[in-house]
Amino acid sequence: MKEEQISAEQSLQVIQSMISKARQDMSDNSIYFLVWGWITFIGCSGQFILLELVKYEKHYLVWLLVPVGVVFSIIQGIKEEKQRKVSTYVGDSMKYLWMGMGISFFVLSMILTKLGWGSPVFPFFILLYGLGTFISGLFLRFRPLIAGGITAWALAVGSVFVSYSYQMLFGAAAILFSYIIPAYMLRRKSK
Amino acid sequence: MFKDLDPILHSQLRLAVMSLLIGVKEAEFTFIKEKTNATAGNLSVQIQKLKEAGYIDVIKQFKDNYPQTICKVTRQGIDAFEQYVANLQTYLGKG
Repeated sequence: MKEEQISAEQSLQVIQSMISKARQDMSDNSIYFLVWGWITFIGCSGQFILLELVKYEKHYLVWLLVPVGVVFSIIQGIKEEKQRKVSTYVGDSMKYLWMGMGISFFVLSMILTKLGWGSPVFPFFILLYGLGTFISGLFLRFRPLIAGGITAWALAVGSVFVSYSYQMLFGAAAILFSYIIPAYMLRRKSK
Repeated sequence: MFKDLDPILHSQLRLAVMSLLIGVKEAEFTFIKEKTNATAGNLSVQIQKLKEAGYIDVIKQFKDNYPQTICKVTRQGIDAFEQYVANLQTYLGKG
């Protein structure tokens, strides 16, 4: 681009084209939603299968997948940080939100370890999934995530009315609608 | 005709830089160069002018032992950009 006199129309074109170019580079968080979506989906449905179908006593062991996700997220985060040439307020907000969500899941797990995992635990987890995806949807202005968050909240209420093991299926459904499906849609949109 | 349009912003490259920065928190020099297709030399000069006008902050630092230049729009820059767009709209409205 050269330094030259430009018309008002040209100015407007420059502004529009640059704003859309900056937007194209908005960080695509779908990889985290996909990894965590599948980990928690396998966790919920796997625990249900082990408990109800296989009748395995240590059905909760399937959740050992969580540290894999933590390690992946840390490595991916460091990699992205190194390659990052632009930072956006939306990107930062997403990062802080999900850091807080991760800590909340951890704290909730600690509380439930004290209270006993036999009590209804999944409604609380589903409630948190809903919160995270709903706010993410608003940040990214992406309706499937907002709808996913609302669906998760509805499933959190619904899960109170079923037995412990079926709450796991409600959890799996919540993850499917609030993480996995919106993440694939987000991925397709950003490509 | 364009007497009310801010001369600092009414230049293709400087306007492009400001339009890129207005939507983000901060961006690296290489990012701006890539998006505007400008040469490093020309871009440096224009970024310096924007800095002198107080429209952007330029932070020079090291990242993994490589020098890195980060640009960030200032409050004054946002006000100037908004005023420029508003003036532009009046011109286009008249036309």
